[in-house]
Amino acid sequence: MLSREEWLPLARKLDWDYSYVREDEVFPEVISGRPWLPHSEWKDWEESFKTSYREYVDNQYEKDMAVQAVHDAVGRIENVQKLAVPWLNSLKVHAAALPLAEFTGVIGNLRGARFGRDSAWRTMATFGALDEYRHTQIPLLLFHPLLRLDSQFDWAHKFYHTNNWFAVAARHFFDELTVGQNAIEFHIATNVVLETGFTNLQFVGLASLARESGDHMFERMVTSIQTDEARHAQIGHPVLATIMKHDPKYVQYLVDKWFWRNWRLFSILTGLSIDYLTAPEQRPYSFKEFMEEWIIDQFLRTLDEFGLEKPWYWDLLLDELDIYHHMIYASAYSYRATLWFNFVMPGPAERKWLRQKYPKYWDDMDAVWEQISERWRTVGPGAANELAVHGTAMPTFCDLCQMPLSAGTPRKNTARVLVHDGRKYIFCSEPCQWIFLHEPERYASHKDIVKRVLSGEAPSQLPNLLMEYFNLTPETWGKDVHHGDYEWLGARKHSAA
Amino acid sequence: MPISLYGFLEGDTVGLLILADDGDTLEVLAGKLQAAASLRVAARDVVRVVYKDQTMDPTMTVAQAGWEALDRFDVLSG
Repeated sequence: MLSREEWLPLARKLDWDYSYVREDEVFPEVISGRPWLPHSEWKDWEESFKTSYREYVDNQYEKDMAVQAVHDAVGRIENVQKLAVPWLNSLKVHAAALPLAEFTGVIGNLRGARFGRDSAWRTMATFGALDEYRHTQIPLLLFHPLLRLDSQFDWAHKFYHTNNWFAVAARHFFDELTVGQNAIEFHIATNVVLETGFTNLQFVGLASLARESGDHMFERMVTSIQTDEARHAQIGHPVLATIMKHDPKYVQYLVDKWFWRNWRLFSILTGLSIDYLTAPEQRPYSFKEFMEEWIIDQFLRTLDEFGLEKPWYWDLLLDELDIYHHMIYASAYSYRATLWFNFVMPGPAERKWLRQKYPKYWDDMDAVWEQISERWRTVGPGAANELAVHGTAMPTFCDLCQMPLSAGTPRKNTARVLVHDGRKYIFCSEPCQWIFLHEPERYASHKDIVKRVLSGEAPSQLPNLLMEYFNLTPETWGKDVHHGDYEWLGARKHSAA
Repeated sequence: MPISLYGFLEGDTVGLLILADDGDTLEVLAGKLQAAASLRVAARDVVRVVYKDQTMDPTMTVAQAGWEALDRFDVLSG
């Protein structure tokens, strides 16, 4: 009988020469990816985990049991009810954004499992698909009982099936990253940029944030997911290394493009969670400090390891660390009924903390919060006054990332209009326009929310837009967690009542 | 005739879609944007309208300015 060390290479390396079809018919460039290379260029593809199916199943079983044990011990509704209200809303954000995005990862990995260019790659991608199934099912399982606590948790299932503006943006991202992607771009963009660059470390940071917030269930869940990510993220590295030998400019483009696209989504999900939806005394760091310590340094080391340059927009990205998610949060707060979770308004103590952490542009952000506070003082607190402290004009969206046009600073918004093939587009930033112009055939026909409203595809009146198109209800749409009832706001201004 | 424009008010955190009439003066248009953003930005008495890096005559109408649907304009202090 063969030993494990003798058997595993035989089981993982099962490539053969085709006799009645050509290799480029078995692995067409359109779905395997470019540059198309013969298998001789891929035969040394290898990664460090070298797991067998039996080992995989045994290992995953142990991890599932550990998650179940923590769920049984501290995952009941009464445990969740003890969490701070802002953190509960951070949970709703992740409950919606995470599970079905992971399911798109199943599809991407299965593409690698069929169209990856070496058998060991295909084996690992099969495990990657099973991982992503797990990452879909665990959060759905854990968040479903919370529906009895709060109907906004319904969005764990519902989010990607709606035309909510944030769902449109997230779907635009994941459809390109995973669902409609060739195997090479999928594994470089997902494993190297998203997972090695962002989520692998993001989950470590999120687990730490959850621990500080007393949310041991979420901490255990993301820790368990992170251990899978650390393994299957390795698939992309030998893919990238092989393509680097043949077309380094293409690799640089993919890394530049996907780091920016990931940043747009990540900065909103994680930036808002750390700096606004975690109680100030429970924040172990600011989002900017987290980025600098966990993401930026590590990403630069990865680039260096592969002989890649920093993305051309690097200085712009570093500048955005100080402002982008703050612009988004203030905008989203003032259009909170368009989302499925509730918001907290930063008071004097939080704003003092934010000023210390973000001195560069905070004066301008503080003026915005002062103005919103003034509106609450004028109308007075209460659920009935929510829509009196809410935007009425249509906010606008980027034609690439589909996020609000909230880039730049309050003094200088960086949105830019482009006419392409006789049609007008608007982008939040130079990198979003740059990505569009590299692959206009991929993006040009997509309509953002504004274009859908203008074409009559979506309703123009806010209540209709919220209920008919964004699938929200007065019960589930976002509100201020205190309905403007903050002690620090002081007395209502009777003269303007 | 109504025309939809992307409006950006200095001090604001997001661009807004502003429905203008082509007979609106740019001063009126600046007022519409200020009103639309008033939740986040306090109104200012003295503002100027900027289009493609040029400060515009506030008495000019949207039609006279030659603006087209989904053009960008900015309203800045002073």
